[in-house]
Amino acid sequence: MCVGLSARVVSIEDGTALIDASGAKRRVSADLIDDLEPGDYVMVHAGVAIAKITDTDADESRKIMESLDGNGETDH
Amino acid sequence: MDNNMNANDFVTLAHGAGGRQTAELIDRVFKAHFSNPDFTGDDAAVLPVDAGKIAFTTDGFIVSPFEFPGGNIGKLSICGTVNDLACMGAKPLYLACAFVIEEGFPLAKLEEIAAAMKKTADEAGVRIVAGDTKVAGKGQVDHVFITTTGVGQLTEGVRTSGAFARPGDAVIVTGDVGRHGCTILLARNEFEIDADVTSDCAPLWGTVKSMIDASRDIHVIRDATRGGVGTVLYEIADQSKVGIRLNSADVPVAPEVRGVCGMLGLEPLYLACEGRLVVFAPKSEAPAILEALRKGPYSASAAIIGEVVADHPGKVVMTTEIGAQSLLPQPGGELLPRIC
Amino acid sequence: METAKQIIESYDGRKLRVMEVCGTHTHEIFRLGIRRILPPQIELISGPGCPVCVTPAGYIDEAVMLALEHGAVICTFGDLIRVPGSEMSLAGARSKGAAVKTVYSPLDAVDFARENPDKQVVFLAVGFETTVPAACLAVKKAAAEGLANFSILGANKTMPNAYKALKGSADAFLYPGHVNAITGTAVCEDLVKLGVSGVVAGFTADEILTALAVIIRLSASAPGEPFFRNCYPRVVRPEGSPAALKLMDTVMEPCDAEWRGLGVIPMSGLKLRPAFAAYDARLKFSLPPVAGRSNPACRCGEVLQGKCKSTDCKLFGTACTPLHPVGACMVSNEGACSAYYQYGDILNG
Repeated sequence: MCVGLSARVVSIEDGTALIDASGAKRRVSADLIDDLEPGDYVMVHAGVAIAKITDTDADESRKIMESLDGNGETDH
Repeated sequence: MDNNMNANDFVTLAHGAGGRQTAELIDRVFKAHFSNPDFTGDDAAVLPVDAGKIAFTTDGFIVSPFEFPGGNIGKLSICGTVNDLACMGAKPLYLACAFVIEEGFPLAKLEEIAAAMKKTADEAGVRIVAGDTKVAGKGQVDHVFITTTGVGQLTEGVRTSGAFARPGDAVIVTGDVGRHGCTILLARNEFEIDADVTSDCAPLWGTVKSMIDASRDIHVIRDATRGGVGTVLYEIADQSKVGIRLNSADVPVAPEVRGVCGMLGLEPLYLACEGRLVVFAPKSEAPAILEALRKGPYSASAAIIGEVVADHPGKVVMTTEIGAQSLLPQPGGELLPRIC
Repeated sequence: METAKQIIESYDGRKLRVMEVCGTHTHEIFRLGIRRILPPQIELISGPGCPVCVTPAGYIDEAVMLALEHGAVICTFGDLIRVPGSEMSLAGARSKGAAVKTVYSPLDAVDFARENPDKQVVFLAVGFETTVPAACLAVKKAAAEGLANFSILGANKTMPNAYKALKGSADAFLYPGHVNAITGTAVCEDLVKLGVSGVVAGFTADEILTALAVIIRLSASAPGEPFFRNCYPRVVRPEGSPAALKLMDTVMEPCDAEWRGLGVIPMSGLKLRPAFAAYDARLKFSLPPVAGRSNPACRCGEVLQGKCKSTDCKLFGTACTPLHPVGACMVSNEGACSAYYQYGDILNG
């Protein structure tokens, strides 16, 4: 379910954000995120920005793996 | 020529009735644009025959919208048939074209289409020598349909077929994949997505010529049209009874095409191309072929994307980004965006 | 440091059954060939996470009825077009003259309704918590504009009670990251109290492998101890999306829902609140109750619960293929059976 796409916010106007994913652009609803600004990254699903995100997964996966190596326990 | 016609005119049923107005339409649009020494005013073109063999093919073209970034149905109708001939190693010589035009179609648009056909035919070195025009009632066809039929002269010493792929062959694609399909998807504007993508639609005899000048030992050349490169790979695996290994990281895809596919859950390997060839040749020949391709105007991003193996005949296996093996799904059915 | 892939490949502990409950996970796991790097002790089960797969045949029948008998324009995600109903799919209805339009967003269906005031436009609202806010926004927008020709045919579902119904089908769940982006992680913490383990996972190769590696490590470090980790914090916050949750609560309310293959799960669905009844296609067109029929030989229900594999079903690959699907798991690219069929065993498939 739920094909999500991470995309960069190009501009915002009247609750609508123009987003760019590798050059594919579309207007999506920004109604669910209050403080959205151009340059932010969002997760887009079915024409709606559903969450503000950081743009890359590499660092995150590394941190999660490191936390496991530390003591087998992390904060959730 | 005729002062009853002006730029705002539309095609009417009378243009298809065979009388004076039909002759006017042919004069104004087709004769004016296609004019060449072999273009016939008679029932059939009479052409010289050289020694050797000819390749002969036909293709019908329906595309909505009929004009799109990078081309229109006219350019497409020439490229499609020229490329089919080129895939057999045949130099395209002559084309015939048949139009079915919807009543009310703007004459100015028909002229644009004819002009694009002439330009593309000239580039491919092919002459349009015969044609036919029919007009269908409003709503009976979608603007304009074109069928083109072509003959080409086979190059001596070159024999390609979908059945000739052999284990040890390299699989080459002559450029980034999925542009045409992506362009059409965007041009229909059903999904309100914008991207700077133009169709790869191009006449490829020059591309093929550069390859066969570099190596005569080419087993398969096929243009990846409907169903894209993925469909071609399955066709060849089936016809040649071989397996194909594909390295997903080596398949060239424009970032914008990837972006659009990401948004709609589509796979670029199944999007149509109209200016891309899939080529199978022994690995020893691949470097020379690739070098020749990369000098060409339509194949600068040519790449080796895989190899032919004796294992798993009829199947295409992909090495994925995590280094695991996975079957490339068999293409089939309508391409449907995946959202939820 | 061992990479996630190394941890997975070198696992030699006890048997571990992991259920993914998101069609996009199913699809990506097959596409990437992740099953091929798993040791035999790890079994991945494709649970009921594809909204298309769990949509009952009767729902398609209702949509076909709206299109053919009421002349409505059906706007739908592409995923639903080929799903078999009792008599026909939407693709079949289209060939009989039904107007079926594929859209990217429910909001596009509202735009279409505004531009075509002479047509009745019905959006097929399927999907889980990730997709529900988009449908709610569409209804609110139509209401704000006073569009009288827009409505939705609802079959939205929610995951929490489904997890409870599936408790025991697996040792750990791979939670669907984009659902948790909306709901937050409290629901997963609560499941730990019920003895249900799982991790929230993203969708890139790295994210899926990391999530699986975390499941392996946590199961090994304290055997039998239920656990939860959020392995997708760049998208999923503990509180989820308060704005989306508030919107959903304004527009929809919980209801019992039928899941294809699983039957009715209490309070696992969402329907429009009475204040938005004007946008409920069932009420608007007075649709009669529909009891859809599925092929009795189809084992999609058991597949979704991990009770059997796709290949155990006698229809699989014979009467039921992606081009001629019988069961819903074969229809969607994200369905377990379709994925098995298309990406299946290289040598024997």
